[in-house]
Amino acid sequence: MKRRVRAPQMGCTLDQLAAGERAVIDSVDCPPVIARRLMELGVLPGTEVEVIRRAPLGDPMEIALRGVHLSLRKSEARHIDVTPS
Amino acid sequence: MSRPPESAPRRIAILGNPNAGKSTLFNALTGLRQKVANYPGVTVEKKTGFCDLPNGRRAEVIDLPGSYSLQPASPDEMVVRDVLLGLQSDTPPPDLIIFVVDATNLDRHLYLALQVIELGRPLILALNMMDAADVQGLHIDIAALERQLGVPVIGISAAKGTGLDVLRDLMTRDVEPSLRHFREWPSHLQRVIERLEQRVPRLPTVPDRARRDVAVAMLLDQGEDDALAQHVSADALADAHLLARRLDEFSPGWRSGDVAGRYEAITALVAEAVNAPAGDRKDARREAIDRVLTHRIFGPIIFVVLMGAVFQSVFAWAQPLMDLIDWGMRAVGNGIGSAMPEGPLRSLVVDGIIAGVGTTLTFVPQIAILFLFLSVLEDSGYMARAAFIMDRVMSRVGLSGRSFIPLLSSFACAIPGIMATRSIDSRRDRFTTIMIAPFMSCSARLPVYALLIGAFVPNRWVGFVTLPGITLFAMYFLGIVAAVVVAWALKRTVLAGGLPLYVMELPPYRMPAWRSVFITVRERSLLFTRNAGTVILAITVVLWFLASYPKGGEAVRALEAERTQVAATGDTTQLRALDNRIASAALEHSFAGRTGRLIEPAIEPLGFDWRIGIGLITSLAAREVMVSTMATVFNLGSADTDVQPLRKILREAVDSRTGKLAYSPLTGISLMVFYVLACQCMSTLAVVRRETNSWRWPIAMLVMMNALAWLASFAVYQGGRMLGYGA
Repeated sequence: MKRRVRAPQMGCTLDQLAAGERAVIDSVDCPPVIARRLMELGVLPGTEVEVIRRAPLGDPMEIALRGVHLSLRKSEARHIDVTPS
Repeated sequence: MSRPPESAPRRIAILGNPNAGKSTLFNALTGLRQKVANYPGVTVEKKTGFCDLPNGRRAEVIDLPGSYSLQPASPDEMVVRDVLLGLQSDTPPPDLIIFVVDATNLDRHLYLALQVIELGRPLILALNMMDAADVQGLHIDIAALERQLGVPVIGISAAKGTGLDVLRDLMTRDVEPSLRHFREWPSHLQRVIERLEQRVPRLPTVPDRARRDVAVAMLLDQGEDDALAQHVSADALADAHLLARRLDEFSPGWRSGDVAGRYEAITALVAEAVNAPAGDRKDARREAIDRVLTHRIFGPIIFVVLMGAVFQSVFAWAQPLMDLIDWGMRAVGNGIGSAMPEGPLRSLVVDGIIAGVGTTLTFVPQIAILFLFLSVLEDSGYMARAAFIMDRVMSRVGLSGRSFIPLLSSFACAIPGIMATRSIDSRRDRFTTIMIAPFMSCSARLPVYALLIGAFVPNRWVGFVTLPGITLFAMYFLGIVAAVVVAWALKRTVLAGGLPLYVMELPPYRMPAWRSVFITVRERSLLFTRNAGTVILAITVVLWFLASYPKGGEAVRALEAERTQVAATGDTTQLRALDNRIASAALEHSFAGRTGRLIEPAIEPLGFDWRIGIGLITSLAAREVMVSTMATVFNLGSADTDVQPLRKILREAVDSRTGKLAYSPLTGISLMVFYVLACQCMSTLAVVRRETNSWRWPIAMLVMMNALAWLASFAVYQGGRMLGYGA
């Protein structure tokens, strides 16, 4: 995967957030089919997301958005750009 | 809307997101009048049932698989889309859709609802779990929802049964389809879709408004869409692919362009219709439970304890029931046996048919108990947490956390384990799990391990453990290693690819609906008995025939003559010894015995002789039959399968050609390795056939596992001999 270089104030990716942190989703940068499914599950740009916890072995992570809790692997969360709030 | 003829039952489909309480509603409406089959060509289960309506008519109710979207990401969702669009050939589109949503979470559940409403089919929106919404202080304006969506809306609680009378009444009405649209495509995309719409064939099952959705499906198609390939001309589909590629170039992100629009519509709708209490809407109970169950340290501990309890229960609770069934079937066999004249027919009925029915039924307690636990764990919401905890471990072999519990169950028996793979969403992961499940050492292998370890492994202490203990552990471990290697290989070859998407919903905790749990247990047990049972019965009868025919042979006749003489003397000890020798000679003379000799050259390099060969053949019925077969072969009465003397006999057995000991400890190890890896259980193959809906997978399993077993035993035996262990 390409790692995009970006100014620090522009935010980070979802997998970099710690438990309890909140952020707003900026974009979902994965292959189109996966991006579509994530968006259909509510992982949409502009939506506020909270990281609830990580699984005991560190991966996957539990996130909450729109009142729904999702389990997301680090490899998936890496493609979701967020701005911490 | 044309009315169906009065005689035909109304066809009503229940639809919704996973965790919406769809199946609970289905069970509440249909009760025990259900049947389960597969949709043709796929492994998706088709559940239908019947429900009496207040107007005296009957409705045929279909429980469609839980889905998140009409743009399918799994075979389940593909079936749902095909049925709703009218592209599923064996299932005509429903006359009425009951769309079930979780009233406490309209925000998300309305997404698919809006997609389906747009199709222009008659639909009722059922807001389920209204009781929970009340507890949370949510006030839902049903009239506002009806106004905005253009469909009848009703509040129910499927688990408590409230609102179902009103729903049944609505099910008799003619519902006008909604005319609303909730999405907008950018104008250039709109033009493309309209152009494709012209290419959609006119089918009587596809309403005009749904033709647009077929066009969208064509545009989003990845070339794996069987229904489209079947109904749309190859030309039109190729054009759609071309258009999609052009859009990829000029308008990246177009593929999810309509998603945000729908969510905006939902946000507006929910803002108008739902009045939530002020403040954070966090579920405090859920948080409290999760803080313990997914805790960094307690989470895994609770998981291990819980799984241990489930595993132990399947083992321990099933055993008395299995013994009871065994005893009962033997009583039935004796009863029928004494009522019938001695002869081949009696033998067929008692040793073939009744034994086969018995074998099938002894699996039922394990299946019932496992599914009792699994459905409670699933319905309560814990299963998703278990998958959450185990995901990291299973991801190492390319699987997900969902595969863990089916594999664990396979240590008791691969049959319920393979049946439990239904909860794995990804088809590729599910098939991989099915293919490796039989490598887990099941309870039927234990008597074989016990016999061989007792016979050939000296009971010596090595540090803190005994040599037999280490050997037994090594056998279980070998199975796990084989499973890991095969899973790794399958995920890189035949089962490679697919969507690498492991996002999973963690539903709120709920009290399981006991009625639904009971229906699931009953349904799984019946399905196994009906589908796998017939195959198991047929195989048992074939094996009975192979072990009983042809009759006679010189050795048997000579022994029977001797028996007539001894019978006159009344010496019962000698008589029993003679009977055992007759049974042994008859088995040797039978097709099974001859096959044992026939395959001897193939198994000789593994250290096995023809007598073990007979055991391998009779193991096809069930692995533990090996023990009683060896008892018969070595002149022990097969009825008393006391392993003590058999161990000694195996140790001291002589090869008649060389006069030396027939088996060494190396033979024992080689044979155990063979039992770990070989696919011997025909019942497992019967279940794999049902669960994969094809003969390809069971045949591949048979060939792959037995080739692996042969090679491994060959390596052990020949390697051991080279190192000088094969005394």
